[in-house]
Amino acid sequence: MNLNKLIVLSRSVKLGRNVFAARGTCLHHFQSRRFIRSSASSLAYAKDLFLGKVNKAEVFPYPEISKEELEEINQLVQPVEKFFNEDVDSVKIDHEAVIPPETLNGLKELGLFGIQIPEEYGGLGLSNTMYARLGEITSLDGAIAVTLAAHQAIGLKGILIAGNDAQKAKYLPKLATGEHIAAFCLTEPGSGSDAASIQTRATLTEDGKHFLLNGTKFWISNGGWADIMTVFARSEVVDKDGQKKDKITAFIVERAFGGITSGKPEDKLGIRGSNTCEITFEDTKVPIENVIGEVGGGFKVAMNILNNGRFSMGSAGAGMIKRLIELTSEYACTRKQFSRSLSEFGMIQDKFATMTLNAFVMESMAYLTAGMMDRPGVPDCSLEAAMVKVFSSEGSWICVSEALQVLGGLGFTKNYPYERYLRDCRILQIFEGTNEILRMYIALTGMQYAGKILTGKIKEMKKGNVGVVFEILGKKLKDSVVRTVDFGLTGKDGVVHPSLTVKNHAKMFEQNAAHFGSTVESLLYRYGKTIVEEQLVLKKVADVLINLYAMTAVLSRTSRSISIGLRNHDHEVLLTNTFCKDAHFKNNFLLTQLQKNSPENNDANIKKIAQEVLAKRAYVCSHPLDRTF
Amino acid sequence: MNAPRQLLRIQCIGCIARILGKPVQRVILPTGAHLQTPGSQHNYGQLLRPFHCSAVCSTSRPSRTQLEKTVEDETLNKDKSLVTHDDLFERAARDSKTKADFNRVVDVFSKKDIRRRGHVEFIYAALKKMPEFGVERDITVYNKLLDVFPKEVFMPRNFIQRMFNHYPRQQECGVQLLEQMENYGIMPNVETKVLLAQIFGEKSHPMRKYQRIMYWFPKFKHANPFPVPHVLPSDPVELARFSLTRIADDLDAKITIYQYPSTDITETGEEVMRPHIVGIQSPNQRSLLAKHNPCRPVFVEGPFPLWLRKTCVHYYLLRADPVPSEEKVEEEFDPEMMGPEQSLFYPQRLDLDLERDMGDDFRFDVDDVEEGPVYAMCMAGQADQVTLSQWISGLQETCPILGQIPTVFRLDSGPRELQTTSDAQQTPEQEVETDQITEEEPLHSQRVKQGSASVLRRPRVYPRNQECLDVQGLSMIVYQDAPPQCELSPLPHSSSTAALHKPYTPTTG
Repeated sequence: MNLNKLIVLSRSVKLGRNVFAARGTCLHHFQSRRFIRSSASSLAYAKDLFLGKVNKAEVFPYPEISKEELEEINQLVQPVEKFFNEDVDSVKIDHEAVIPPETLNGLKELGLFGIQIPEEYGGLGLSNTMYARLGEITSLDGAIAVTLAAHQAIGLKGILIAGNDAQKAKYLPKLATGEHIAAFCLTEPGSGSDAASIQTRATLTEDGKHFLLNGTKFWISNGGWADIMTVFARSEVVDKDGQKKDKITAFIVERAFGGITSGKPEDKLGIRGSNTCEITFEDTKVPIENVIGEVGGGFKVAMNILNNGRFSMGSAGAGMIKRLIELTSEYACTRKQFSRSLSEFGMIQDKFATMTLNAFVMESMAYLTAGMMDRPGVPDCSLEAAMVKVFSSEGSWICVSEALQVLGGLGFTKNYPYERYLRDCRILQIFEGTNEILRMYIALTGMQYAGKILTGKIKEMKKGNVGVVFEILGKKLKDSVVRTVDFGLTGKDGVVHPSLTVKNHAKMFEQNAAHFGSTVESLLYRYGKTIVEEQLVLKKVADVLINLYAMTAVLSRTSRSISIGLRNHDHEVLLTNTFCKDAHFKNNFLLTQLQKNSPENNDANIKKIAQEVLAKRAYVCSHPLDRTF
Repeated sequence: MNAPRQLLRIQCIGCIARILGKPVQRVILPTGAHLQTPGSQHNYGQLLRPFHCSAVCSTSRPSRTQLEKTVEDETLNKDKSLVTHDDLFERAARDSKTKADFNRVVDVFSKKDIRRRGHVEFIYAALKKMPEFGVERDITVYNKLLDVFPKEVFMPRNFIQRMFNHYPRQQECGVQLLEQMENYGIMPNVETKVLLAQIFGEKSHPMRKYQRIMYWFPKFKHANPFPVPHVLPSDPVELARFSLTRIADDLDAKITIYQYPSTDITETGEEVMRPHIVGIQSPNQRSLLAKHNPCRPVFVEGPFPLWLRKTCVHYYLLRADPVPSEEKVEEEFDPEMMGPEQSLFYPQRLDLDLERDMGDDFRFDVDDVEEGPVYAMCMAGQADQVTLSQWISGLQETCPILGQIPTVFRLDSGPRELQTTSDAQQTPEQEVETDQITEEEPLHSQRVKQGSASVLRRPRVYPRNQECLDVQGLSMIVYQDAPPQCELSPLPHSSSTAALHKPYTPTTG
């Protein structure tokens, strides 16, 4: 109905194009200025992309660390790298499914159990950026990386970000030295990714000084040897209206409190050296001062821990791939086939290019996000962190698989580390929120943000408000006439280095970003709040956004590299151009699919296939050899 | 000239030939080519062509039996008249009617006369008798019957024959045979095709029929997504299991056998039949039942018929009336858990004031008719309420709440029970017959009366002696003369009380 109106109007508008176009642009400018003002205070680069805006001030220039910090981290990196190269026997860890105590002691001595704990509590007190840098090295062994991450990225993070001083003073020093190991207990048998259905209960004792914990937690990394646990449980809270409600509360639970039993460690596909098991709490007495934050406020704690802890996966993946590139290129250059070395074959070169691009993009995204998180204040970078996690977990999987493929049959054997890397990195797509859930999170959070701002406009449009319709038409007409999108990235005062704009790759990003903004608007127009149910649409939205963020990261990083003349920055330019072009066309395709009645869109069929198969819970087709007569 | 007479004439010529003991020269009948005797239609100067027999015929050569003799005697005796082939089959099957008997008759017919006189009649008779012998679904038998046709003689030899309906009676008979196969859903096989090609030629009507069958049959073979096997399990428990899984369209639904059928002999020497009770319940149904408001009764209703090809089985439902809207509890959601920006993993809903656009709303406009939940289903060997309360107590093991819910048995039974007051243990088979007859009339009248009723149910007539309330787990039979107030007190509405003593009327919406 409204569309018809639009069409009719557009016909009439053509006559007086100039007048309306001018008016439209005026309105548009007015509105966008207002948006900027409203969102400038909070850091929200990715969210703003949903509105078709590039908040370039947040991502350009690429974040840097000070010279002192760099020196400090380099001093730290060297011994850690040496330790991992010489003292860590990954094959043994993988085979015996346990990290030997001397390796753990080595890690503790290096201070790797307290990377982000402030120095006053005996930790290294490093920033997110420096944490990411160390993650590059620790990721060389999946089991150790996961053990460390479970300890400090989630296990003790609760105390760190929401604990009070007494709790910090009591627990952090021992955790920093690795004397105590931490674990994060959220997942339950009945609630995989659906954390809201937590069943573990915390009941206040009669004296009001303790909570009694009862319940079972599943898949707890470090569960077997953790001494301190961050446990989430339901407890009764009296809310404002005086009604009793079940709310989630976070507790610091010491193993010494009693009533805690750990199950048998799970036998896993990868990261076999890490300890994953079930933990059962039976009337565990937790003193009331061990509540993190306030009673009933556990949900926010859990959210903050999880949402901001994911960025390091980018640097970890990049670290791993960089190592794999070294290993496989050695092989590819020495191995001769058909009297040529493998490195001369185009298909092998393709694999190396893929690995390099992925490592480069992951790295750029991870350090951009880490840099954003290190800014003063408490920036909410959960969207960015989730994007880094999704991109890098999938990229790692592809790259490890490609690296293995370069070696062919050799890569498949246990004589080479590739199969172990392949197994280890499979978990990346699963833990800390599966990629599917994170895609939903990315898309829906953005949609909510954009929807709040656009609701009024869309409603007016639906009502057929002439002014709004003219405004939109004007904008469209202007776009079609001028055909340029300018976010100020390129050109005279552009933030992207001119050498990146020669081939218009920065422009490609701008076009995509503008297109994305209008697509989001039309999606909101079409689906409204029911978009929650359109998972296939949301997946595409998330994919476009991830690509956009990745493009931003590489453009920003390379601009900086060129500007300050980093070594081999011409290679970075090459990588950036390649990636941007690739991502641009991928985005174009995805955005086309998101249009209404797009022939490229296969979602309806995909859904139908799945529904038919799932209704039967089996493969539906007859066997190709079957006959009817 | 009508067909029998023509046939008679043909047969007469045959008889003469037999008596003379030498081949008959060409006989020209005045009515035209299609009435010539078989084998004599060709002007090739050939005398009586020996009929070709296919391999099917010659494979089995049973010894000369009594039947064979009688057949031969009969044909010889009745030389001048039509042989009634029906008789042949009846005589053959005096004691047993099996596939072997049927084949024997066909064999005897094929061997008795090289000319296969009267084969068309024979085939028609055989087709008619097939169901009696239980071979109507046997492709080999059809092929054997087809093999009775003499080979090659009906094949057109020139374009004129090909143009006109060559040997119409024979072709028609062949088509009839194929049609019977079609009606029984029997797919012809390659042998059928070879036989048809040998008998009628490549472009004959039977061949066309064959081709059409072969085109359509495979297409429709799997048209039914829920096929019922031709042979149903004979074990009542297995049959119940099959039927219940067929009705319950839920792969999670679990079959429970509450009681296996058995016969006990009591001390007094009386035989006590213990009927089978097979129930089905899905986890969803179980959780629904667990949430049932114990103040409201649940109903055991039935028997409802389920047809599996030619068998009718009966099942019972445990159901309740729809929950009235004022009692429905909206499951409130915690904005902290589900709402936007606060959710742990991803928001379950968005806090937006935007609905789906009309252009993207592909939902059908469906009027939802509120129906009460069905909590479980069962099949039992006996339709009485004692058996069914055993089922209910079996259900209580998984759903203890059922013990607190008043259970009302609303069992359909025939009108005979309204007149006579005994007969509680009527078999369901008997019930259906009577049911269907008596219910037709009230059904119509009620539909008219309750035109605005939102839920149309089968009106039921309740036998007065069978009403029962299972209050607090205690089963009590409420007789008509018992004071209704005491037993009916747990029922919240007076309308429900009425329902117990009057024929059930649909709830008006």
